[in-house]
Amino acid sequence: MRKIFAAAIKIYQKWISPLFGPRCKYYPSCSTYAADAVSEYGAKGIAMAAWRLVRCNPWSHGGVDYVLSKSSKQPIKTGAN
Amino acid sequence: MGSILNPLYYAVSWVIVTFHSAFGLIFGKDSHESIKWSLSIIGLVIVIRIILIPLFVKQIKSQRALTALQPHMKEIQKKHKDDRQKQSEEMMKLYKEHKTNPLASCFPILAQAPIFFALFTVLNGIARDTSHGFLRGDLLKSAQEAKFFGANLSSTFLSSDTNSQTKLVTVALIVFMSATTFTTQRQLMVKGMPKMDSSNNMMLQQQKIMLYVFPVIFAVSGVNFPVGVLLYWSTTNLWTFGQQYYVIKRNPTPGSPAYDELMKKRAAKNKESGINPTGEESGTTQTDPNNLGQKQQRQQPSKKKKKKK
Repeated sequence: MRKIFAAAIKIYQKWISPLFGPRCKYYPSCSTYAADAVSEYGAKGIAMAAWRLVRCNPWSHGGVDYVLSKSSKQPIKTGAN
Repeated sequence: MGSILNPLYYAVSWVIVTFHSAFGLIFGKDSHESIKWSLSIIGLVIVIRIILIPLFVKQIKSQRALTALQPHMKEIQKKHKDDRQKQSEEMMKLYKEHKTNPLASCFPILAQAPIFFALFTVLNGIARDTSHGFLRGDLLKSAQEAKFFGANLSSTFLSSDTNSQTKLVTVALIVFMSATTFTTQRQLMVKGMPKMDSSNNMMLQQQKIMLYVFPVIFAVSGVNFPVGVLLYWSTTNLWTFGQQYYVIKRNPTPGSPAYDELMKKRAAKNKESGINPTGEESGTTQTDPNNLGQKQQRQQPSKKKKKKK
């Protein structure tokens, strides 16, 4: 399940996201956030990703927002840009 | 799924049916059905895009607010030259601090997706003789007959009863969609973006990917879409292009090539009409051609300098 999700996000990032150009108000982008959240938290990560997508709207100011690691509560900084 | 989207079916079909009867006043109540239905779909696009305009204006405003942040941005780029992650992080922090964000978020796209899907279902309903929302009875019958350049609005490239005319129109619309999307992106990249050293390369690469990926994605999905949906998609693309063209010409992002162009044009115009924005040295500039040339050069980069003088 997690693997399918990760693969879907990879495909989105490589093939679909370039269509729209850079547009996420947050760093890392919602898709990277979703990948990190699901690999760290599983099903709960999907809800986290959905909430992030809702927060990323025309009325938000965005900002830096990493997924926090389960154990250390440190931000997960994957190599994604 | 169907029940969640039911209100949307009503909304979409209401807009279309309303446009259809409004066009009836122009084209006659029971004639020119094809034109009326096609224009109704275009009308739906216009309504949706007009609703989205305030979001767009907000976007331009925050983009213009970036002028003030330019020195900070340059500093960040210099400071974290070799660390893209750190660079993006600092940029986002800067935006948040100043409560401005030039990025649009996915909302404008996500907001249109359900409408797009609802239109898809409503048009498919026409093909399958099932009514959705307000599109029922005689209206449904009339819509079934409606054509766009000889292609049924409800038929797809792949449906079994599709004639060669429909296939031709479908392909033409797919080509049109690919072309408008590509030129829109290209225009933005070539003229609308501030020159940034680090991300330029990545953008160029993305652009190259898109050049090949667009037609494939559009072709694969487009053959499954009813002509009416393709018409919607093409029109919304055209709108996006026009909107962006207007902004790049009239309200370009500071630091972009289009911005330089506009400044040059304004300078030339001022010169022509003999208006000197500072109100100084007007006598000498008009008579001395050398001085004029110098002035034009100076005018382009900085308004502030002139004010100080």
